Amino acid sequence: MSKRVGIVVFPGTNSEEETQRACVAAGLQADLVHWSWDLARASAFDAYVVPGGFAYEDRVRAGAIAAHDRLMQPVREAAAAGKPVLGICNGAQVLLEAGLVPALDGHTDRPQAAFARNAPLGKYRSTHVWIKLALPPANCVFTASFEAHAFLPAWASHGEGRLAATDAVLERIGRESRLAFVYCDANGNALPEAIPNGSALGAAGLINERGNVLALMPHPERDAWTFMHSGPAREAARGDTPAMLAPSGGIELFRGLARALEGES
Amino acid sequence: MIRCIEIALTIPDNEAETAASTLRRLGLPGIGVSRADLYRFDVGPEGEGPALLDAVRRIEPLFNPNKHVLRERAAAPEAGEVWVHEIAHEGAPREGQVRIAGRTLPGVRGIERFTVWRLDDESGAPASGEAVAKAAETLLCNPAFQVATTS
Repeated sequence: MSKRVGIVVFPGTNSEEETQRACVAAGLQADLVHWSWDLARASAFDAYVVPGGFAYEDRVRAGAIAAHDRLMQPVREAAAAGKPVLGICNGAQVLLEAGLVPALDGHTDRPQAAFARNAPLGKYRSTHVWIKLALPPANCVFTASFEAHAFLPAWASHGEGRLAATDAVLERIGRESRLAFVYCDANGNALPEAIPNGSALGAAGLINERGNVLALMPHPERDAWTFMHSGPAREAARGDTPAMLAPSGGIELFRGLARALEGES
Repeated sequence: MIRCIEIALTIPDNEAETAASTLRRLGLPGIGVSRADLYRFDVGPEGEGPALLDAVRRIEPLFNPNKHVLRERAAAPEAGEVWVHEIAHEGAPREGQVRIAGRTLPGVRGIERFTVWRLDDESGAPASGEAVAKAAETLLCNPAFQVATTS
């Protein structure tokens, strides 16, 4: 029986369907878990994905209200139990606001970092990006089956994706291997010009100490099939429907999740 | 010279209502919340007269007379208030420090933007300092990139 992934839906979430499709394409059973659900029902999942959007219209701060929503209780319990939890874009902001990432010293009750307004202009950007694994693959449950320094395509679509934290926290994020993904170019080179938002450390994704909670700003689910991709592979597939519908690199993160869950069974 | 101009909604503020309901669940029962944008201007002699208020009133992205009220106020939080603003990290957006909504204003040498959260207890009086501090710590301020200032 395939493992069940709960796609957490708050008022204002808008990427739940493509996230669900990416999970299903990776061989997972994925159900939308709405904020109005009974918590016992919402707790019956093997993993959770908090997708992108504007949960609660980003009131107060991006992710701040959703981080305190009752639906985060099963997500927190799953994270504490070592189950995989993935936050994408607004979902990543929620996980940081909830304190589940980077969770230095095991503290999960206060935010230690944030994805803040993009720099230098403080404006929304939607652009194709590449992200590169910045830690040993085995350190993160989603990437345990990846090759070292693997890199994936994704779309950055955010106004608040710049990792911000105190200098002390940033130093520890680097030293304690919480930096999961950095922005890179199409050849996997982590260059400053590949960073779309001024993010500290070039960070695209962070994990907790155990490696089961991943907060990822860009959207891999929006580059899950070739027709969504931007680059030579898409150009080469023009006029070839099967090639356009072939999986693209972003699907690998969801396959990584599927392999992690298979390994548990 | 420092001048502070506050712009608040006169129509229902969904963001403040959401903050209030969340804070009630976080252990501050009965709390009421209102919110305003506050611009702290560092002005030279040219910016000391009434022209500054008039200039801000004319910036449509900031002030709509059909739904906003604008006033000049003291440059420090009052009882029940917490002011939240972003830390100017290296590499953080800097456009707002000398420009407002893409414009420069006469006599203005620097601008800081704050969100003013005004908290009331059940009686409508300003919330206690303890309640304000708890609200800032649990919800209104993320210390990773923001600073909260109270009275």
